[in-house]
Amino acid sequence: MSDGLPVDPRALREEVKAKYRAVAVDPHGSYHFHTGRALARRLGYDEAVVAALPDRAVEAFAGVGNPFSLESLKPGERVVDLGSGGGFDCFTAAGQIGPEGRVIGIDMTEEMLDRSRTAAAVMGLRNVEFRQGVIEELPIDDGSADVVISNGVINLCADKRRVFAEIMRVLKPGGRLQFADIANGKEIPAGALRNIDLWTD
Amino acid sequence: MLEQSGFVDVRIGPPADTFGGAGGESKARLFEVFGYAFSARKPK
Repeated sequence: MSDGLPVDPRALREEVKAKYRAVAVDPHGSYHFHTGRALARRLGYDEAVVAALPDRAVEAFAGVGNPFSLESLKPGERVVDLGSGGGFDCFTAAGQIGPEGRVIGIDMTEEMLDRSRTAAAVMGLRNVEFRQGVIEELPIDDGSADVVISNGVINLCADKRRVFAEIMRVLKPGGRLQFADIANGKEIPAGALRNIDLWTD
Repeated sequence: MLEQSGFVDVRIGPPADTFGGAGGESKARLFEVFGYAFSARKPK
């Protein structure tokens, strides 16, 4: 790649969209990752919190860790979720920040946005909003977030420095980034890094 | 990369066996891929 990235960011984005469009439409399908309530249990989410959520809010969850495990959110905080998918982490966050706080979920996939917006409506949540966008160009004002969360999404972006710069832009001074993502203990061969299919399979 | 991007107070949680029992388990084992929680702060 001429810009030093291992793959074309736009091509990777389309692959990711296709993968997560499928999860939104058929969350119980066969994927290389777990989904839904079983995954939330595996990753150590509070079981009572998860049990209180309707199926529509949980079944498309496809995170890789628990962004709330190192630190909980505080009442009244303004939170942005990068790659909010079916909204599971936004709904979990909404319970922690309470009615005075606000969560904005950002996702690029129409089918996931439909799913998360419907779930929020079913639950009557007034402190959660979902916006369409990509995490390299967040539709969020400068310095407006107390906390940025994300789960299994940043690894799917070719230009991670740009993502972190965007996070820095939207956070208030002293604001927190709490995210979960995968990391590999063994080096991945350069040839594999250039294979776009391996990023999403 | 977090620190290079200007974040401070970076913390990393213990590994989670994200792909255990899933279709992607064999590939995850091959490259020792696990899920982690990270936290960091934007300087004041």
